[in-house]
Amino acid sequence: MKENIEKRVVGLFFLMLAILTYVAWFAVDTIKKSRNKSDWVRHTYEVIGQAKEVSISLGAGDAEMRAYLLTGDARNQLGYRTKYAAMVNALDVGSRETQRDISERDQYQKFLTLTNLIGKHIAFTRSLVQARQQGGLDAARQLELANPEGESTAEINAVMNDLERRANDLLQQNDSEARTEAILTRQIVYSGVIANFVLLVFAAYLIKDDIKARRIAATALEEANAHLEAKVQERTAELVKSNQALKKENLERRWSYQALDHQFRYNQLIVNAVTEMVFVISKALNISRTNPSVTHLSQWEPQELISQSIERVLQLPSVGPTHPLLAALNEGRELQDQPGTMITKSGAKVSVRFNLVPLRDADKVVGGVVTVRIVPGTPAVNA
Amino acid sequence: MKKHILSVDDEQEIRELLQETLTMRGYRVSTAAEPIEARRIAKNDRPDLIILDFQIEESDGFVLIDEFRKLYPDIPLMLLTGAVFGKGAVREVIETKVNSYLDKTASLSQILDEIHRLIGDPEPGASANTAFRSLR
Repeated sequence: MKENIEKRVVGLFFLMLAILTYVAWFAVDTIKKSRNKSDWVRHTYEVIGQAKEVSISLGAGDAEMRAYLLTGDARNQLGYRTKYAAMVNALDVGSRETQRDISERDQYQKFLTLTNLIGKHIAFTRSLVQARQQGGLDAARQLELANPEGESTAEINAVMNDLERRANDLLQQNDSEARTEAILTRQIVYSGVIANFVLLVFAAYLIKDDIKARRIAATALEEANAHLEAKVQERTAELVKSNQALKKENLERRWSYQALDHQFRYNQLIVNAVTEMVFVISKALNISRTNPSVTHLSQWEPQELISQSIERVLQLPSVGPTHPLLAALNEGRELQDQPGTMITKSGAKVSVRFNLVPLRDADKVVGGVVTVRIVPGTPAVNA
Repeated sequence: MKKHILSVDDEQEIRELLQETLTMRGYRVSTAAEPIEARRIAKNDRPDLIILDFQIEESDGFVLIDEFRKLYPDIPLMLLTGAVFGKGAVREVIETKVNSYLDKTASLSQILDEIHRLIGDPEPGASANTAFRSLR
């Protein structure tokens, strides 16, 4: 989207540049053409001026020549010669001016015709002057009557007029073309300016639209970031909470372990401190735990008694079909101060008194604790 | 200013656990393994609560309780011990000497609740109160 708009704007600027270049080129070309046309107009006026000069000089020269024919005055002779010289000079200039450009071939031809006609006119004038000098005024008049001069003058004037009219036509045509070109140039310049203005407005619209889209995108990005930030914070808070819960749980577990361990060791200390022999037995009468007094008084090591029947170390005087300890455990009864015989590791027999307290887990008897004390003054009897 | 708790226990693990837990809850905690150290701390930095074990090296909890009662009659004392007392005798005997008695088999949450009951939030102010409650 963003790249697309940038391409469009760059494209529009290139288009505007192309239009401006074309308009500038066209304007420069028009100026060049105008300058050329201006030169041509000046040149055409120059040609017309030369043609008029020819006409004026011819008329003035003819007037001086007639005066000379009448008076024979040398000043008149000098006058017509000067005028004719000026006429010839103007004719030469006109011919040269029109000779160079092929588009003026027609005018050049007319100048050639004029040169020819004026040449004849001058030759006739020269014969009149010669007749005046040799035969006087009458001879000149006879010659003139025999060759009427007015025809050549009229023909010269007709060519002159034609030349001038033709030049004026060209000027008019040129003027018309110049006006058309000026209108076209103005139209192209105006069109270029308007087109550029429209393109500029369009580019501005695109840029504005792009800025708006960017702002919307920036706002959306900002909102998305804020949303993400909120999510992250929420998640972080959850993790912190979860972490704290885990820490708490861990601390609780460690505390429970320590408390139980402490309690166990404390209880162990108490049991170990008892001077009587303590046996923890199962309901099958097997020993699961003893205290240090057992080893001290019977020499049995714990590992030698654990999982063994208590009968290995404690024998009762009379055992019926059911062992008294088993019967008491099954019935959940305590036995207090009962007689018995302890068998030491060396096989000696010692009279003892014992207690049995059933161990209860909830309301169920799972075993019992037998405490045994040696009857004072009883000697050990070896087996 | 965070409330200051002095914990006196001969078991290092118990001291460390209590310190970690109470510090996490926002309290300032000092620990001592022996009576001499406990007396020194209590003298230099008056605690808001003293937690004692019954079994302490070179003394016992009752001796220390009597000492602290004389020195700081207004500081609450909590007996936190693994020593097993007869249930019936606890209220009659022990609770006359201390403000609170808990077995070490009590959970940390119960211990924290009891501490909060005795001295309140770790720091006066709503934020600390909220933080404390959120952790319980």
